Amino acid sequence: MIEMLQYDFMRVALVMAVLIGLTAPAVGTFLVQRRLSLLGDGVGHIALTGIGLGLLTGTSPVLAALAVSVLGAIAIEVLRARSRSGGDVALALIFYGGLAGGVILTNREGGGASLQSYLFGSITSVTPSDLYVVAGLAVVVLGVIAVFGRELFLLCQDEEVARAAGLPVRFLSILIAVTAAATVVIAMRAIGLLLVSALMIVPVAAAQQVTRGFKGTMLLAMGVGVLSAVTGLAGSFEYDLPPGPSIVLLALAVFAVAVAGGTVVRRRRARTGEAREVIPDRAGPGREAEAEVLRG
Amino acid sequence: MTRDDAAPFAPPFAMTGGHVRRDGREVLAGVDLRVGAGDVVAILGPNGAGKSTLVKALLGLVPLAAGRTEIYGDTPARFRDWKRIGYVPQRLPMGGGVPATVREVVASGRVARRSRWRPASAADRAAVDDALAAVGLADRARDTAHLLSGGQQQRVLIARALAGEPDAFVLDEPTAGVDAGSQEALAATLGTLTGAGRTVVLVAHELGPMAPLVTRTVELAHGRVVRDTEPLRRSA
Repeated sequence: MIEMLQYDFMRVALVMAVLIGLTAPAVGTFLVQRRLSLLGDGVGHIALTGIGLGLLTGTSPVLAALAVSVLGAIAIEVLRARSRSGGDVALALIFYGGLAGGVILTNREGGGASLQSYLFGSITSVTPSDLYVVAGLAVVVLGVIAVFGRELFLLCQDEEVARAAGLPVRFLSILIAVTAAATVVIAMRAIGLLLVSALMIVPVAAAQQVTRGFKGTMLLAMGVGVLSAVTGLAGSFEYDLPPGPSIVLLALAVFAVAVAGGTVVRRRRARTGEAREVIPDRAGPGREAEAEVLRG
Repeated sequence: MTRDDAAPFAPPFAMTGGHVRRDGREVLAGVDLRVGAGDVVAILGPNGAGKSTLVKALLGLVPLAAGRTEIYGDTPARFRDWKRIGYVPQRLPMGGGVPATVREVVASGRVARRSRWRPASAADRAAVDDALAAVGLADRARDTAHLLSGGQQQRVLIARALAGEPDAFVLDEPTAGVDAGSQEALAATLGTLTGAGRTVVLVAHELGPMAPLVTRTVELAHGRVVRDTEPLRRSA
């Protein structure tokens, strides 16, 4: 365990793991509530084109990925807001275009091996300059959440109420998409673009099994994120496994434990709740109410 | 309360010739509605009459195909003083299922009054406490909002609007899916709003225990106003 700290690349990798573990679930909490769990996945596909462009032009693949995935995230958000029904097809087109474009571009570069490292993560190839970019992005992402968190919370709860409160709904929607794009770029070197969004979603899914509130869910998810990222990385070093999949499998294991724990917690809470007041078994108003809204 | 906008006497809501079309159908077919300050208006009518659409159009949440609507003298697109408006939607959406405590939901109603750059002030916290107390949910503040009963969730949503200390409330079917016992509690909560002289526009199937609070009823059918009672003088 300690011996891995003797390697420079592992020290860099561990710092990165902590940054990823903090930022990905923090952004993911908003994405889950907004039913955009797969946004990170989509941005990951698009980022690949950025990698290809970066390799081809000899500029930093990380910065090129950032630029392309931010543009892609804005395009996704605009499409989502514009078209209520055809939106998911438009999104699929962007995703596949991004993936295919990335493969073509990296192939021209003759970079099959480097493509592999971006798809599934290769934390050993991380340079200190990558780390600076990632750390800067992490500060920006966490800063956005600290400053805009309250508005984003209301937006993700109920977009119409957010509009009736005078919030800049379009700006906030794009802000959250762009923040997700930055997070994908933060996490891609360690986890890989194909698994990047797992660390945005799985810790949140685990945390919400046992928490009562939004902030609690976010903080616990960040804890789960750091725990799985650091132990996953250490485990992959110890047993010579790829780090990205190790991290994701660990997060999924935490999720499984949380589901079991959540069942116990809820049962106990229901019992103490009954002592105070009878709570009707009701998980929220159903689809009938929604149909009524649509009918006007 | 400072009211330094250009039209200090503009009514909270004024719609003239409001049309809303959806999928080729006229959901609102020329509605004229002027809601004066201090009015307690109930929008009544059968399912599909356009009640929810009307209140959403009043707030600019649904665009008008024709006609004009104003909030305190400005079109919704130009209106900036949103802290004067408290919108209570029909229900608390589940979203992706991330839990939120009652207090978190209620506190989000302060968002139009708070600075982005500063943490919650004592006044913010006091407003949230007052709103929770007004709807009788102070002891549930730390519970998950979605796990409450329908009537309690409705009171959470009202408390969220209350926390913003608005001048005008718009409530979309506050009694939908609320059992008879909770309707009494809900009516009592609404009574605290109207008692403070605030403007209230609410959508309802039937008034039930809310009837004594209402000063005016507007009946919709097929997207038109078919009956509009004279504004009554509010007793007490």
